[in-house]
Amino acid sequence: MSTRQAPMRLNLGRFVVFAILAFAVCFYGIPLLWLFLAGTRSEASLLTDPPFALGTWEAFSRTWTNLTTYNNFQIITWATNSLIYSVGGVLLSLVASIPGGYALAQSEFPGRKLILTLTLIAMITPSTAVVLPIFLEMNLLGLNNTYAGLILASGFFPFGVYLTYVYFSTSLPKGVMDSARVDGANRFELFTRIALPLARPIIALVAFFSFLAIWSNYFLAFVLLSDDKLYNLPVGLTALVSGSGALSNLPSNDVPIKKPEVVLAAILVVLPVLLIFMAAQRFVRSGMLSGAEKG
Amino acid sequence: MGAATTATAADRAKRARRKAVRDTRMSYLLLAPYLVLLVMFGIFPIAYAFGLSFFDTIEMVFWGFTNYQFVFDDFRVPASVVNVLAFVGIWVTMTMIGVAALSLMLDSINRKTANTLRTIYFLPGAVTSSAIVVLWLFVLDPSVSPFQPVLHTLGWATRADVIASVGLAGIFAIMAYFSASGGWIVVFGGALSSLPTEVMEAARIDGANRFQLATRIKLPMIWRSLVLMGILSFAGGLQLFVEPQLMGLAGPQFAQNDWSLNQMAFQYAFRMGDFGASAALSTLLVGASIVIALVIVFATRFYKID
Repeated sequence: MSTRQAPMRLNLGRFVVFAILAFAVCFYGIPLLWLFLAGTRSEASLLTDPPFALGTWEAFSRTWTNLTTYNNFQIITWATNSLIYSVGGVLLSLVASIPGGYALAQSEFPGRKLILTLTLIAMITPSTAVVLPIFLEMNLLGLNNTYAGLILASGFFPFGVYLTYVYFSTSLPKGVMDSARVDGANRFELFTRIALPLARPIIALVAFFSFLAIWSNYFLAFVLLSDDKLYNLPVGLTALVSGSGALSNLPSNDVPIKKPEVVLAAILVVLPVLLIFMAAQRFVRSGMLSGAEKG
Repeated sequence: MGAATTATAADRAKRARRKAVRDTRMSYLLLAPYLVLLVMFGIFPIAYAFGLSFFDTIEMVFWGFTNYQFVFDDFRVPASVVNVLAFVGIWVTMTMIGVAALSLMLDSINRKTANTLRTIYFLPGAVTSSAIVVLWLFVLDPSVSPFQPVLHTLGWATRADVIASVGLAGIFAIMAYFSASGGWIVVFGGALSSLPTEVMEAARIDGANRFQLATRIKLPMIWRSLVLMGILSFAGGLQLFVEPQLMGLAGPQFAQNDWSLNQMAFQYAFRMGDFGASAALSTLLVGASIVIALVIVFATRFYKID
C-alpha cells in the first residue's frame, strides 16, 4: 500500500517546486514585461491604469517623437555612438583574442605560462576594479573624451583570449597541424589557412561576450567621457533622467522627457542585447556557456 | 662514418634551434595585439595608479603613505566598507541559494518546461548597468510598479517607504541578482545535464527520491562550481558602483554619492581633483581583486592552464 502514499508525497513536493519556479517567473519576468508594455503607455496611464494595461499607438508615437527629437536628436547620437564603440571594441577584441588564444594553445615558447597566468588574473579581476586606474592613465595620455580611448580600453578582453585558448587546446587536433607542417606551411599560414576557418564558433562566442560587455558598459564610459556628444546609450539614459527629473515624482516641468520617454530610452538600451539573446538561444542552451563560467 | 653522423646531429640540433626561435617569434607576432592591450589596460594602469598613490598629485612631490593615511582617516571610508560588505553578504547569499535551488529544481522537471523557464530567468541579463537601476526605480515606486498590489499590501505607499524598509544594501542586491543570476542558472543547467547518468540511475535504483537525488547527489557534484560563482560574485560585488551612484536619478533626496568604495575613489578624483587619494583607494580595491584572483588561480584548480 506504500505505493499509494508515495505519489501523494511526491505531489506535495512537486507542488512546492512548481510554486517556487512560478514565483521566480514573476520575479524575473514581470519587470521585463512591464517595461515593454510601459513603453506604449502615456504618463497618465502609467499612474492610473492597472500595471499591465496596454497603451495606444498614439501614446507610443508621441513618446517616440518626444524622445528622438529631444535636444536636437541627442538620443540618435548616443545610439550611433554605442554602435561605434561596440563595433570597434568587438573587432579589436577579436583581432587580439583569436590569434593570441591560438598561439597560446598551439605552441610552446618562453613566456607562455606567464602570459596565460596574467590573462587569468586579468579575467577574474572585475573590469570595474581597473576603471579609475584607466581613467588616471587616459588622463596622462590625453585620451579622455575620444572614441579611440574607449574603443581601445574595451578591446582588452582577456576572457576572449582564455575562451579561444581553451577552444584551440581542446578542439583542434594536433595531428592536423602536424601534417600541415609537413606539407610545408609555415606557422602564419597554419593560422590563416587551418585555424581561422575552424574558428567560426569561437569567433561568434567571443564576439557575443565582448559585445555584451561593451554595449552595457556604464562605469568606464561614464568616467572617460564628459562631453555629452560622445556618450553611449547607458550614460545617455542617465543624463536624460537626471536632466528631466522624470523619475523624481516632483511637480512637472516643461521638459518633454517624462516617464514614458525614459522607459522607451531604457528599452533602447535593453533591446539589442535581448534580441541577441533570443537569436543565440540555441547556442546558449547547448551548453557552450558551460565552459564560460564567468559572471 | 662516425664523424658524418655527428655532423648531421649537430646540423639537426642547429636547425631545430633555429626553428624554435622562428616559432617563438611567430607566436609573439600572433600575440602582439593582445600583449599591447594587456600592457596598456591591464598592467600599466595598475602600476601607474600604484605609483601615483605615493605622490601629492597637485604639487607632484613624493609623500609616502600620506594618501593612504588620508583615505583611512576619511570617516566615509569605514562607512562604505560596512555598506559594501552588507551588500556583498546579501547578494552572494541570494545568488548561491537562489541559483542552486532554481537550477536543481529545473533539473528535476521535464526538459521542455525547464528550457522555457530557464529562458525567462535568463532574459533579465539583457538589462544591465544603468538600465537595471532605471527599471528598478520604477518597479520600487508603488505609484507605477507592476508589483503595486504587493507593495501596497506591505503598507508601502511611496518609493521612500520601500527603500527605508528593505534597506539600500538589500535593494542593490535585488537589482544585481535580477540581472546576473539567470546566466548562472543557464550555466548550471548545462553542468547538471552533463552529470553522469549512471550515478543518477544507481541512486534511483537505491530508492532515492527526487529531493534526495538533488540534495545528496547533484548538489555535492556542482558544489565546487557554486563556490567559484560565490567567489567571483564576491570579487565583483566589492567593486559596486553603478547601483548606488544612480540612486540620485530618483531625486536628490535619494542620492547616495559616497555609499560604496569605488564611489569614494570616484569622488576623490572627480569632486576633489585629488588623483593621489583616488589612486590610493583604487590601488587597495584592485589589490583585493588581484589577491582573490591569485587565490582562485593558484589555490584552486578551477581554470586549467597546462
